[in-house]
Amino acid sequence: MSILKLDRVSYRYRSNTPMVLQDVSLQFESGHIYAIVGRSGAGKTTLLSLLSSLTAPTGGTISLNDQNIAKIDRYKFRSQYVGVIFQNFNLLPHLTAVENVVLSMNISGKKFDRKEKEVALSLLEKVGLSKEEANRRVLQLSGGQQQRVAIARALSYDPDMILADEPTGNLDLETQKEIMNIFKMLAKEGKCVIIVTHSPDVAKNADFTYELKAAASSKS
Amino acid sequence: MYLFKNAFKSITRNKLRNILLGIIILVIAVSSCVALSIRQAAVLSREDAAQNMTITAQITFDRQKAMEEMGGPQDGQETGTDGKPDRSRFDFDVLQGSSLTLDEYLSYTKAQQDGDSYYYSGAFSLDATGDLLPYGTEEEDSSSGQQSASGIQNFSSASGADGPEMPGQAAQGRIGETGGDMPGGMGGHRFQVNQGDFSITGYSSYQAMTDLFRAGGSYSITDGELFDESSAEYDCIISSELALYNGLSTGDTIVLCNPQCEEETYTFTICGIYENENAASQENNRFAINDPANAIYISYPAAEAIVSASEQAGNTTTDQKGEETSAALKNTLAFTYTFSDLSHYEAFSKKVYDLGLDDDYTVSSQDAESFENSMIPLDTLSRTAFWFFVVLLAAGGVILITINILNLRERKYEIGVLTAIGMKKTKVALQFVLELFAVTFTAVIIGGGIGAALSVPVTNTLLENQVESASEEQAKLSENFGMKPDGRGGNGDMGRGENPRMSNGFSGESPAAQYVSSVTAATNGTVILQLAGVGLLLTVISGLAALISIMRYEPLEILSNRT
Repeated sequence: MSILKLDRVSYRYRSNTPMVLQDVSLQFESGHIYAIVGRSGAGKTTLLSLLSSLTAPTGGTISLNDQNIAKIDRYKFRSQYVGVIFQNFNLLPHLTAVENVVLSMNISGKKFDRKEKEVALSLLEKVGLSKEEANRRVLQLSGGQQQRVAIARALSYDPDMILADEPTGNLDLETQKEIMNIFKMLAKEGKCVIIVTHSPDVAKNADFTYELKAAASSKS
Repeated sequence: MYLFKNAFKSITRNKLRNILLGIIILVIAVSSCVALSIRQAAVLSREDAAQNMTITAQITFDRQKAMEEMGGPQDGQETGTDGKPDRSRFDFDVLQGSSLTLDEYLSYTKAQQDGDSYYYSGAFSLDATGDLLPYGTEEEDSSSGQQSASGIQNFSSASGADGPEMPGQAAQGRIGETGGDMPGGMGGHRFQVNQGDFSITGYSSYQAMTDLFRAGGSYSITDGELFDESSAEYDCIISSELALYNGLSTGDTIVLCNPQCEEETYTFTICGIYENENAASQENNRFAINDPANAIYISYPAAEAIVSASEQAGNTTTDQKGEETSAALKNTLAFTYTFSDLSHYEAFSKKVYDLGLDDDYTVSSQDAESFENSMIPLDTLSRTAFWFFVVLLAAGGVILITINILNLRERKYEIGVLTAIGMKKTKVALQFVLELFAVTFTAVIIGGGIGAALSVPVTNTLLENQVESASEEQAKLSENFGMKPDGRGGNGDMGRGENPRMSNGFSGESPAAQYVSSVTAATNGTVILQLAGVGLLLTVISGLAALISIMRYEPLEILSNRT
């Protein structure tokens, strides 16, 4: 059963500009990794923004568990329903890795069995960061480590769906593999992982690949 | 809760910016505290003074208004057919016979409130008889034809009949009106006045005499005792000079007569002798009656009984035109209302008109006027402080808004990330406001403390300058009027009233003010609350800028631009 469904979704930035996405209909299921590929300007990042409710489609509907996400508070949607991993990580540099994760947990408003910091540390450990690294400010971490923090932050409130924008774009091959392994692990745990990427290697590791073409998409 | 944590982290993270912000707010807080303290000091001083002072007021006939109504144009240039001023349009019966009766004065006491009171006095003059001589006069040959040493006096009323009150006549009214039995009195006519040697003042109560016998005052009973205020017996107190001059002592009797009818005599028993320390400085050599040593005090019932007896005697006199007029003594009534509070006086001033007082009468109070004058420097300082405060707040607000807008631009990315991961814009704004609030109130508390410590010395220093400025202005004004800087007129006949507040030589001039020249406390709970309000206002003003900016930001836009 599909967790996320796009039905004839269209988008344009302004009324007098051409369509970036037109009549895109896609379905995503839990427990799988999806790769969205396409040439630059095909609308991959725009699609991710629509899926994470950072913006709203100009046509069509996006449904999460058969509920139109337009009817869900966009802040609630982003803080509880979907975990977003941004291309540039978008971590708060004045906070430590663990503080970034805890802040996300706080914003979600979710209650935890253990102390939030303990949960955050275990999440960071899960994605490969030591306790010492977890207590460093994010600017003192490498790109790969920052990406892990971003993943841990996206997982912090245990969403059903993970959206990642070029998660391996700035990383070396070894780290790319490690990150992909984390995504595979998450998929195995039953989460739906949607990755926007240019990388053929990442696409190979996905269960399904959607290719976006100019104002269209095809599944392979 | 996490908002507080985040706010605290943000404050400590941006120490330099927040210290700068804090210093600006600190300066605003210190200045605001001083300015507000000055205003509060003015308010408190006014309240304290108003509560602690006793206000005395009188109802007086507004003669100028009546003359204007009779004479048409206010410039007084209306002339008769011969080109000279048309004085016939003035009705002197109305202008002179305008005093209220005792019953009327008493009826307006209904406009007073609890704690207020009133008193009154009646005054007229009597002549010496026999061997009795008024102080300052010499025994004369009885063949000279004069009634007494100074019984008949010639006045030129060119300067008007509105001279200052004289010692011993403070309650009687004015030269030219004393006795009320003088013809003419206006317009420069030369007229003859039958005026006695002694001023007789009858007081309704001891309270009425507190101006004379007040603590630290110049009058004191040195022998005998004061008359019974409720008694109609002809008991009197006389000055020590008069007693010494005539070899009188308590228990003796003196016989005085109607200045216009020497057969009409009244015998007084001296029950007490008083001493007036300032008598020498108040001495006026021109007329015996003007010498304070010749002031005799009796009870009001006694004064009323004498006037009544004089009327019943039915004596008459013939004036210069050969017309026969009554020689009966007339009591010049002076009625004084006292108020325990300035607000009572202000309420009374309005309420008496509701009780039927004619618009031609006004309620006035020398005390209230003196009080207002004393507050001038502090009020001026208070107004200046207020505008300084307003400008400071406006300038401070603009600076804070600018700093916060710059701060927000710097932290745009943070706002983008927070909203992108699901933090509501309102919460982001709240966090920013909390940061501002913490910095502002820390600075306001420190600034309030510094301001409170500085407020009294600063207020007193500024007040000193204001008082100096006001005093110089008054001195210059006095000099322009040809008076000495202390307010005394150059003419010895004028401006030497017993009341120091009436030391100006010109009737109607503002009294020499005793300015409020220092404050002991300025910062109080009200100022602290106002300061908290200032802090809140600054937080809201600068927070509003934050709120508007944050509401305009869209996370996608911020993060895309950064990418």
